[in-house]
Formats: sequence, structure tokens, C-alpha cells
Amino acid sequence: MKIPRELVHTFPLFIPRSYKTSEGNKTGSWRFLRPGYLEKTAPCSSACPLGQDVPTIQMLTVQGAFKEAWEVILRENPFPGICGRVCFHPCETACNRGEFDEPVAIHMIERFLADTARRYGLTPHLEKGPSREERIAIIGSGPGGLAASYFLTLLGYSCDVFESQEKPGGMLRWAIPFYRLPLDVLEEEISRVESIGIKIYCDKNITEKDFQSLKTRYNAVFVACGHQKGRNLGIVGENLPGVVDGLDFLIGLKRSEREPRIKGNVAVIGGGNTAIDVARSLIRCGAEPVIVYRRRKEDMRAFQSEVEMAEEEGVKIWELKSPVKVEKKNGKLMVTLQKMEVSELDSDGKAIVVPDPSEKEEVLFEMVFKAIGTEPSEAWYATAPPARDVHDLFSSRIVFEDDYPVLYGGDLFSSAKTVTNAIASGKEVAIALDAYFKDGKAAIMPEIERCRVGGSSALSMEIYINGERSKRSPHVVSFREINSDYFTLVPRIPQPRLLKEERVLTFAEIDLKISASMAMKEAGRCFNCGICNQCDNCYLFCPEIAVVRRTVEDGVFRQINYDYCKGCGLCVVECPRNAMVLEEESA
Amino acid sequence: MLQFRFHGRGGQGTVVATILLAKAFFKAGYYVQSFPLFGVERRGAPVEAYLRVDRKKILIRTNLYDPDHIIILDPTLVSSVDVTRGLKKGGWILLNSSDHPTNGGTFSGYGIAIVDATRIALKHGLGTRTHPIVNTAILGAFPRVFDIPPLETIIEAIYEEVPVKVEKNVEAAKEAYESVKFYKTPMGKEAG
Amino acid sequence: MKTVMEGSHAVAEAVKLARVQVISAYPITPQTHIVERLSEYCADGTLDAKFLRVESEHSAMAALIGASSTGVRTFTATSSQGLALMHELLHWASGARLPIVMAEVNRAMAPGWNIWTDQTDSLSQRDTGWIQMYCEDGQEALDRTLQAFRLAETVNLPVMVILDAFFLSHTYEPVDVPEQEQVDEFLPPYNPRFYLDPDNPCAFNQLAPPDVYMEMRFSIQVAMEKAFDVLGAVHRDFGRIFGRHYDMVEAVECDDAEIVLVTSGTVTSTCREVIKKLRSRGKRVGLLKLSLFRPFPVGEIRRNLLKARKIAVIDRNCSFGAGGIFAQEVRSALFNVPNHPWVYGYVAGLGGRDVTPEVIEEIFRHVETLECPEDDSFWIGVREVENGIGSSR
Repeated sequence: MKIPRELVHTFPLFIPRSYKTSEGNKTGSWRFLRPGYLEKTAPCSSACPLGQDVPTIQMLTVQGAFKEAWEVILRENPFPGICGRVCFHPCETACNRGEFDEPVAIHMIERFLADTARRYGLTPHLEKGPSREERIAIIGSGPGGLAASYFLTLLGYSCDVFESQEKPGGMLRWAIPFYRLPLDVLEEEISRVESIGIKIYCDKNITEKDFQSLKTRYNAVFVACGHQKGRNLGIVGENLPGVVDGLDFLIGLKRSEREPRIKGNVAVIGGGNTAIDVARSLIRCGAEPVIVYRRRKEDMRAFQSEVEMAEEEGVKIWELKSPVKVEKKNGKLMVTLQKMEVSELDSDGKAIVVPDPSEKEEVLFEMVFKAIGTEPSEAWYATAPPARDVHDLFSSRIVFEDDYPVLYGGDLFSSAKTVTNAIASGKEVAIALDAYFKDGKAAIMPEIERCRVGGSSALSMEIYINGERSKRSPHVVSFREINSDYFTLVPRIPQPRLLKEERVLTFAEIDLKISASMAMKEAGRCFNCGICNQCDNCYLFCPEIAVVRRTVEDGVFRQINYDYCKGCGLCVVECPRNAMVLEEESA
Repeated sequence: MLQFRFHGRGGQGTVVATILLAKAFFKAGYYVQSFPLFGVERRGAPVEAYLRVDRKKILIRTNLYDPDHIIILDPTLVSSVDVTRGLKKGGWILLNSSDHPTNGGTFSGYGIAIVDATRIALKHGLGTRTHPIVNTAILGAFPRVFDIPPLETIIEAIYEEVPVKVEKNVEAAKEAYESVKFYKTPMGKEAG
Repeated sequence: MKTVMEGSHAVAEAVKLARVQVISAYPITPQTHIVERLSEYCADGTLDAKFLRVESEHSAMAALIGASSTGVRTFTATSSQGLALMHELLHWASGARLPIVMAEVNRAMAPGWNIWTDQTDSLSQRDTGWIQMYCEDGQEALDRTLQAFRLAETVNLPVMVILDAFFLSHTYEPVDVPEQEQVDEFLPPYNPRFYLDPDNPCAFNQLAPPDVYMEMRFSIQVAMEKAFDVLGAVHRDFGRIFGRHYDMVEAVECDDAEIVLVTSGTVTSTCREVIKKLRSRGKRVGLLKLSLFRPFPVGEIRRNLLKARKIAVIDRNCSFGAGGIFAQEVRSALFNVPNHPWVYGYVAGLGGRDVTPEVIEEIFRHVETLECPEDDSFWIGVREVENGIGSSR
């Protein structure tokens, strides 16, 4: 063409190329804001009475690391199979995802992990502290007593549990109907706890004399005997034949080989979970139960989902009625019901009711079941001399009798009488005792304070033993702090259940298991609030390539090269789950 | 130069048949060129494939409009496709069929040879009753009708190219070679 | 070894023999058979190359630009819309002087959807700085692919090896596949002049202000010029090692021809047959096959065509508003030479329409009877269309 030939062979290959580096330009000197990695506390963890590390559990579940996820639960909760079924899951109420679409089905995943571990006969790897000389006696093998023995054993103590009944489990075994908690699940969880080295002595009712003798043989006693007696109504006729204590009825059901057949209209007095359990059990025995409650349905202490399912199954609920008298009439029981009216609402929005004297009615029932609350069956614990050295913790009480620690917990002390609160109480007792044995009385309160999850009354054993979680900020991540651009709307998985027609025929478990893929998908909905799930957004978005990613033996970790970080804050903004922090640079 | 057109249905191995045949002819010392009908493919739809063979290099690179002979892998195509389109007078039709064709009238001026390739394929476990793989049986019949290429080169090509059930395919080809029926010659005479 | 294979597979064999190190591609008919075969070779270990699966042709080219920058031998293949999608990065590959080799199976551009052969896709990429070579048959597809690597790596420009859809890509015919030792002799391992090296870090292709940009462009033009000499040497070496001889153009019966038909791709092959026939009827007709389109072999074209009186260029493509692209290029190559022949442009065979011997003869008769071309381009075989906005079927 037109290029001279010699030029064709002499003109060099010429492209943009540069060997200069801009590394000398330490742009970090421009920074006045300093990003950093700081894991925080998820609202679910803080709302869980056990302070479970929910976001980590979900993260591991998504990865299919089911055993590891199960072990994370076991660090804070010895009974995932039980809690996955019967807990009222306040974690889900607190879940930030609820403000986005629907809360993550945390309890279903917990149950899935426990059931999966059971199905494959997995043995958890649990870290046990060095052995200690102190021996602890625990009265009662309900969730509180067993939890305390579990955590104390892991902390190195030897524990003996004394149970008045023929088998361990307390209310778990005797009061919760099988349709909510099958027997094999309960027994497997108890035997796993037992297997870490706890001795349970059954048929061993502790009298006051025994109690004094325990104090001589053990270094501490934890009284977790619970409530085994129904409260009286305090009305005329409540001791007539045919008027039955609800709790006794539930216990009787568990002890009987075959469920009794009960016919006709029956009344269940009360509005708590026991009332619901009694009514739903009665349906299964063939009766037509009516729950009579003095306040409104929304004021009932029972879990709302339980109330809904009871109504689905055919339980009727009469609100704002209070029994004032029971009489015998024509072989039946005539109950006089006083109409109540709402006078005002308390600070929680619950109704405060007063009788409306103008209206009373008389209704005939075949039987009447009392379920208005429970109390301890042993009175001896209350007869102990008033002690001066009393420490009230969140869900337990320590009484030092001449520096000898006696602890009270579980239903005896907790205001919320649930399985999960009882377990929490056991954990609190374990922490308090360990702190006391190691550093004396003065250490108890600061240690309890240190273990609080997100400032709530939930305590974390992992934080107590200075595990990874103790590095997290107690700041509870709010939905506002989640970068929801990274999440798409995904409906929560529905709980597979027996049809209500099937439910009322038997005591078979109502909630069915979910598959691994469903569990993984559901766990994938978790925002993992406040914890790093290695999404690498920080690494990808940093315009300065100042996020350094290093692969080390136990994974990948990231750090910020402050020589070049200009403090633009992109990494913090783009962190979907608020596992980073941006702070003023200190001068 | 000889030009062949194959009629079959998508999924029957029609294109593979022409490729195998091209390789057999090549082994026998011919120049070859084979190609499918250029277009979109669909299982069960009528397909065509073509083969040119010559003793000298084939220069023409166009579609094939006027075949010397045709080979029909599926007898049901006879009623739905104009199979003799462009077929040169005096050409042969090699048809997979259990019986002689009923519409022999439209085939006047052409020789007809039939082979029950479907029966042979099934007998040797090639494909299923609903989906027999007849291509190697048809190939076995080919040298019997056209005298070229030698059956050995076809068997050689099957050994080299067919990935599964090689022996069964070879047996099917051999049996087909022996069981060709000549229905009539291009001149219309009953063939022996 | 001579064997019967499809044009697509001939390219795949060449890529395997060239010991390509990185392949990235996105499937598109009629190119798919090439990369399908190569992915099998990568999967079964026959070819020790990394096959990068990507979500588009744009990414395929981007991936190869990255790979080639590290100094490895790279290959991709595409067609039609896929090539169009690569457009931006075609400029990048040549500007960055990366010796990427691509097989381009000519396919018509949509709409209407058409998977059949048409050169408009590759010719639309005329100005991207890629060397373009058009192939006539399966053997040439294999041979040109091998040559492409040598050429690309010597002049540091990317090369497109172009095949007609179906008439070449899907047609089985005898192909002589060379031995690995021969190929290794012809094509030594790639020895890059520059590459990304973590031990000697540098940046490529950053800002090029006005004071250097023009020289960089000049450097590309120089490389294109140099490609003529390099390709000559490549052809000589190729002939020596493999016994098959190629040139940038091939003249058939041109010495005494009054009329020369100019073709590219598979039409050439059919045209050879027609030339024989016309010669046997006493027509003084020749054929010039164009193998190289970029750089455009102006010298070769002038040398072979100036003796003729009329030149008929058959274009399976069209630059709308101008005409067939090869015809334009041939015309401008001849224009500045005194007493140059008339150049007749024919647009034929678009979208896979067959260019049969009859079509070529029709073109010949047209040239023969027309003293001078009254128009820049003539469309051959356009049927009457009655309903202006009707559908094709």
C-alpha cells in the first residue's frame, strides 16, 4: 500500500504498556472514616431465651453442614429436637426478615437438624472443660434440671440428678401431649444428655431431710422441681366428682396404656397452654371441649398458634366468662358462669376484667377440667429459713446459706413457664455456679452480665467460655441496617401438617418433617444478620482493592489494607448483613 | 458421479447412515461428499441426507436436486413426502418395508428393492419396537442393490464409527445384505 | 491420515493439533459442532486446554483477551449474531495485539431468522483489525486454521478463519489430517513478545493520549502490511512440510481469460466445475479465488486481473446502499491502474440460497452480453414479491 517497505519491517509493535505503579501513593492518608470487620448480634439470637447463634446455624444449614449446624445449637441448647417442636420461637417474632416478607422458619430448621442427627445416629463433638472437684446435686429432671446438669458437666463438674417420678423428663414427659412431642424424641434427647456423664436417680423423691443431707454431700444444690400441682379455682363445688385437675388429666393420659373415651360437652377452665393441651387432648378422646376463659381470646397466655390449631380441631372458646359455682344436677355438672367485661387494658394491651353482675348463666357439662395454673407440689423448699444472702438473677435465684449455695430455677423461679425458659434457667445456674466456684460470689453478677446476648436476659455459654461469639458486638442488628437490595422476596416454607381430620383421631405428631432441600432453601432466606457469611461483597466492591483476602488453614479471611483504604465506606454499605462497621478515625 | 438421497425421520440415524456410507465408499477408493438437509431438526419430522460419490475429486458444492437413487428408511414417508422428486429415470428405490409398496404406480420408471430393516434391527436388539434403529440394516442392503461399495467396507465403517452394540449392527447389516428382495426393475419387469 | 470428516471437525482437529491452551466459546448454529468437539477433547484429556464456558460471545472474546494477555495460545468460534455481539471486543483484541484465532462460520444476520450461509456477518467486521481468511473446503479449513496461529503469533494480530455454513461446516468429505510431529514442526509453541507476568508487573492498554494513539494505530497498519510477507513465508513452510500449497489468491485459467470470475468460500469450488464446462465450450474465462480478505491483497489482485477485460465478482453478502463488498474492494484495488478492466458486481446466494452451476453460468452470460456494467451491482435470482409485507412462508 502506501507505507514504505523498510518501515513495514522496522516500525515496532506499539501498544499502551506501563510499568509504573501507583502503590507509592498511599491514599489511606485521605481517610477520616475507618471501615472494619465487626460481627454483631442478630435479633433472633437476642430474642431466644437461650441466646442461640441462629444466623450461624442458618449459614451452616445452607451449606449442607447439618452436623456442624446441630453442634452450634448444642453449644447453647441440649434439646434442639424438643425445642424445635415445642418452643414458642420468639426468635421468629424478632426475625428481621419479617419486615421484608416473612420470618425465617427457624424452629422448623432446628427440628430438621435435630431429626437429621437422630436419623443418622450422629455423636456431637462437644468441648468439655477440665475436670473440677465440685459435685452438684440437682433436684428434678425436667428441662431446667437437665440443662443445668448438661452445662455443668461440660464445664467439668460432676452432677447427680434426683427425680421423684419413675422416669426423667418432668413436664416434658408428663404434661406435653404426644401430638406435640413424641416420646422417642424426648427419650433420645435425654439419653444423649445423660451420655455425657450425668447420673439420674429416678423414683427418688427428695424430702426435707434428704435435702439437708444433700447439702453435706454436694458442693451445691439446684432445686428445679417445678410445678406439678394444678391451682384451685377457689369456688364452690370444685372438688365434686367429675371436676378434674387439668395437669392430672394430662399426666394420667401419659400413664395410661390406652386413651380413655370421654363423651359429651366438657368444660376446660383457663387460658394457658395447659388449658389448650387439655382441650385438644379431650378432642382426641372423643369429647366436645369448651374452653371457658375469663378474659378475651387475644389475652390468653397460650401460644397463638396453639389456640388457632385447637379451634381448627373443633375446640370452642367462650371468652369473658368466669365460673363461680359448680353443682351436681341430673348426673351432670351445672356450672354457673359469670359474664365478665373489660374495664381497661394493661401496659401489654391485655384486658383487665371485672364481673358484669347483670349477667349469669348456667351450663351443663359432663366434666370440668381446671387449668388455671400450677404450683409446686413440695412445700419444703418454701419453708427454708429466710436467707439474707439472696441473689436474684434473670431466671434463677441463688441463696447462700452460710456461703453454701442453693439455687432455685426452672418453673419455680421463671415468670415465663415454658420449656425454653426452663432450659435458660438451667444454663444461668451453670454459669453462676461456675463463676462462683472459680472467682467467688462477687464474680457472679459481672459474669452473667458479660454473657448477655444483645443486652437481653438470654445468656450464651459460648460467650461465657470466650468462644468466637464473644468477639461480636452486642449491638442488635435492625432491619434498617440490612442491605435488602441483596435479597429477593421468597415465601416462607409452609409447615407440612397432618390434616385436621387426621389430627383429631390420634395423638400422632401433627407437624411433619421437612426435607433437606426445603431446610436448605429456607435457611437460605436468613439474612445472617450481623455475621459474615463470606459473600465477599467487601472484596468485590472495594474500589481501591484495599480489601485483602487471604486463604489460611481454616478458611478465608479478609482484612483491610489501611495504607490505601480511603474510607469511602462502600464495603460497609454493600455488606448485605451489617457485619462491618464504619467509625470516625481517631485523631 | 453418483448421487444418493436418503429419506428418514429425525432420530432414525439417517444422517449417520450417509456418513457411514461415505466412509465405506472412501475406503473403497471413491471421493465422497455427504451432508444433511441444511435446516432445523426435529425428532420424528421427515429428514433428508445426501451422498455424492465419484472416482475424481468432487467440486460441486451445492444442494442435491437430482439423485440417481433414493433410499427410504421409513416406509410411512412414501405417502407424506414426494420421495421421487428429481429422481433420475432408471434409478432404484431402496425401501425399508416388510412388503412391496402398494402405490407402485407412482414409482413407475424406477427399480424397487425392499429390505425389512425394521424386523432385522429388532431381531438384533437395535432400538425398540416403537423406535427401531434401522440405519445399519439399510446400509447392509445398499451394496446388494448397487453393487458398490463392497459390504466389507461398510462393516469396516460400522466397526470404526458405531459406538455401541457394534457386533449386533454388523450382524444386522449382513442379514440385510442377504435378505434384499428385488420387486421390479426400472423397466418394470418383475425382478427375480 | 486421510479420513472423511465434517468441515467443523476439520477445524477442531486443527485446533487440537495446534495445542491450543485456552478455548472459550458460546454455542451458536452452525458453529456449534466445532466447539462441541473441542469440549469433548478437553473433557477426555485428548487436548490439554482449559475450556472456559461463558454466557455470551462477548464474554467468550473477553475471556480470550484475558487468557491471551498471559501469553497462551487461544481459540474461539462463532457465527452471525454471536460475532456481532463480539464486535466491541474484536477491536480490543486487535488493538491489544493479541494473536487470538477464531473460526467464523458464515451465517446470515437476523431478522428473519436464518441459520444458512451468508458472508455479511464476517464482512461487517472488516474494520476491526482482524486478519480474515475464507475457506473453500474441509481441507482448507484445517490447513488455514493451522496457518492462522503462525500468522497471528508472528504479526501479533488476531485471525478469523471463515467457513460457509453447512456447505462447508456440515459437509463430510475426505480431509488429510496431518501428523502431530508435522504440525509441531510447522507451529512451534507460542513464544509471546509480551504477556502479563506477576513477577514483572505492568499494565496493558491504559490511556493512550493523542501524542501516542496514532502511532499505535499505525503499528497495526504496519502489521497488516507485514502479514503479506509473513503469510508468504507461512505458505512456503506449509507446502514444504505438508505438501499442500496455498496462496493469498488462486488464479485458475486467468492468463488468457477475457472474463474472470472472482469468488470466495465454497462458491469457488462449484465455479471450478463451471469454468471447465465453459472452457470446453471455448469461452475464455478464468477464476480468481480470494482466500485473504484482510489485509486485502491488492498487489495479487492487480497482477492477476489486469490482463482481463471484464471482472465479475460474486458476493454472498451485501453492504446495503452500496453493493457486494468483495466487488467494492476489487473495484477500488483496480481503479488507480490505467486501463483497468470493468468490474461487475453480483450479489447472489444470500441466506443460504444455493449458488448452483446454473446461477454462475447466468452471471457469466450476463457479463458476456453486457459491454460495460451500467450499475455497480446486480442481484441474481431475486424473485418477484407480490405482497410487500407478507411472510416468507
